[in-house]
Amino acid sequence: MSDAADHDPFEDAFHRAAERHERAWVFVAITLLVTLLAGTMFFVVYDYGVVVRTDGFRADPAAIPAAPAGLVQAGPNAYSVQMVGHLWAWSPSPLHVPQGATVTFHVTSTDVLHGFQIQNTTVNVTAIPGVTGTATYTFSRAGTFNIICNEFCGIEHQAMLGRIIVDPVKP
Amino acid sequence: MSATTAGALRLPTTRDLAGERGTMLAFLVWGFSALMIGAAIGPLQALNYGGINAYPWLRPVLQTYYQGLTIHGVLNAYVFTFFITCGLLVYLPARELGLVPNMTLWRMCFATMAIGTVLLLVAMFDNSSSVLWTFYPPLKGSPLFYAGMSLVVIGSLFPLPILLELRSRWKALRPGELTPLVTYMSTVTMLMWLLAAGGAIIELLFQLLPWSLGWTDTVDPIVGRTLFWWTGHPIVYFWLMPAYVSWYGLLPKQIGGKLVSDPMARLTFALLLVFSLPVGSHHQFTDPGFSPIWRGILTALTLSVALPSLITAFTIGLSLEYAGRKRGGHGWFGWFTALPWRNPSVAAQVLAMLTFIWGGAGGIVNGSWQLDNLVHNTTWIPGHFHITVGTASAMTFMGIAFWMLPHLTGRRLLSRRLALASIWLWFVGMVIFALGMHWAGLYGVPRRAWVSFLPRAVYDRVYGDAHFPLHLVAGGGVILWAATLCFYVVFIGSLLTRRLDRPEPIPFAEAFGGKESYTITEGEPVGIVAHKELSPLASALEHIGALTALTAVATAAAYIPIFWPFLHNVTHAHGWVVW
Repeated sequence: MSDAADHDPFEDAFHRAAERHERAWVFVAITLLVTLLAGTMFFVVYDYGVVVRTDGFRADPAAIPAAPAGLVQAGPNAYSVQMVGHLWAWSPSPLHVPQGATVTFHVTSTDVLHGFQIQNTTVNVTAIPGVTGTATYTFSRAGTFNIICNEFCGIEHQAMLGRIIVDPVKP
Repeated sequence: MSATTAGALRLPTTRDLAGERGTMLAFLVWGFSALMIGAAIGPLQALNYGGINAYPWLRPVLQTYYQGLTIHGVLNAYVFTFFITCGLLVYLPARELGLVPNMTLWRMCFATMAIGTVLLLVAMFDNSSSVLWTFYPPLKGSPLFYAGMSLVVIGSLFPLPILLELRSRWKALRPGELTPLVTYMSTVTMLMWLLAAGGAIIELLFQLLPWSLGWTDTVDPIVGRTLFWWTGHPIVYFWLMPAYVSWYGLLPKQIGGKLVSDPMARLTFALLLVFSLPVGSHHQFTDPGFSPIWRGILTALTLSVALPSLITAFTIGLSLEYAGRKRGGHGWFGWFTALPWRNPSVAAQVLAMLTFIWGGAGGIVNGSWQLDNLVHNTTWIPGHFHITVGTASAMTFMGIAFWMLPHLTGRRLLSRRLALASIWLWFVGMVIFALGMHWAGLYGVPRRAWVSFLPRAVYDRVYGDAHFPLHLVAGGGVILWAATLCFYVVFIGSLLTRRLDRPEPIPFAEAFGGKESYTITEGEPVGIVAHKELSPLASALEHIGALTALTAVATAAAYIPIFWPFLHNVTHAHGWVVW
């Protein structure tokens, strides 16, 4: 029935080449994906601060554990801070950070979902009511960073902005 | 052979066919009507990013940017795609097999989703449920919203029993043969969707609906979010696989060629079934609550799901080349320009593929754990899905409409030129829009934020660096308005044109090699060629029940460790209505 088509020399030649190239392409595709995976995993391990980790759960989102409102020194040049998102502000903000400090943010929310993103950095943590997550970043450059809420949280979502001021180290 | 074939395959009567065409047309018109509303609102959001706040002039129709965005997302992402898919994935297989589908179930599918749509429209237009298309609790919409969403999701599962019954009836008629390709691809898509829809159905029926009705006081937000993404990632394949059905099963015929590999098409769908399910929580790389080990596994699985799309790029690319060379194209690119670009259905689908290359590359960035930190919830993400579902899928569906409307109604397409214009405008508008969105995202501009409502000084201070890309976003949006207008003039106009002398056939394609091909002429099945030699790969992939079971096990294995800590640390969050 389709014998005529089977003996079309152009189709036959095309088909043979296609089968050969297909195997090569699948090999290239798998190599590409494995390389990308290796690259991603290398970076995650190399700069583990970008990874969002879990700091704890609580049954009542509003019951935030008592913590000082600001940086808490945790080491020679290391600090931690409890960063709370609530309708529609970040606390504490503005937050002063000494230049060169490594800061671990403990991020949570007391009401709805918020997104804790520090513009121009790798810090990007979902602020989830009832869950606290952490991420770490080293502020090597002085200046002002914007905190932007990047998860929809109601009518004033766009105005839920905060600031981190990195104070220059005195020479 | 032809005598036995005719006896075994009772061709549907003229009345059966008219009923099938009418039902398919209803799905098509309802789906594209949803897109018409959704796409009309879209450019307002693009203007928002350009700093133009049009919403004060739109009251009382739209109160806020967020209300408009909810309508845009729900109608385009769920209603439009579900109606087109639930129509196509029953109609095409039924016509391919030459059997009448269970029309009662198919019409119940339409009715369930249509009632759901009406409930959603009421809940969205009265501004009681401006929770966006992700409806994350503890933002609390009205019960109508969650009921409507439940009906739309449950209704979208009806094609599965229809397809399984069609396939088993066909298999009984032709024992030992491979399921024809379009039916195979459609069935695998619906099996994938059955497993995928579980998350949304559990979230809606057990969490959100009882809570919004006041039967329960609180919800657990992280559980809701994780259930949502269980469905929310594979849903992208529920948008994409129907487009692949057209690219593999129909387009090679439309461009005057053949599908170069039938087994690779089957392999692609099988891989999509297996890999699309367990990876949903890669949307939660920035969420606390589950182990980093699982994030690493999710990254590996997410990159694996790129493989079937890379295979598709090869197989479809080669099918295009074959047709182009047969049409007289020479050299490196001559085959590409030799394609029938004057056919709007072909132009739509080939341009859809081109944008999908970019979309797929962006998806690999999103799925790469550490890179996701830079782009998560920035405008990069909607930039990404506007060139995937918003172009690869949507433009393929538009391209299908260009042959399908004449096929279903027996009327001519209103204007080939206007149809081509709508496609090129959509392509150019989307490319400019998506370029701006991706680019602005790298400056940290958040997605779905009413930034044009900010005081000008704040907008400039925070987003000043992104002014140029944000203007691209707005410009792309305006072009998309023009594209939408052209498309709907053609779509609505084509329902009213004069009748064709001869109806347009369904362009079922034939595959290379003759092994898996089933001869179909003029869109009517005239008997399927018995296979001289079955491809071992295609034969192995016939075991769709085993594939589904494997996927179910993999999904459970991926999700039990993710849900485990949540179930041991329950949060009781009250609802908020804050828009």
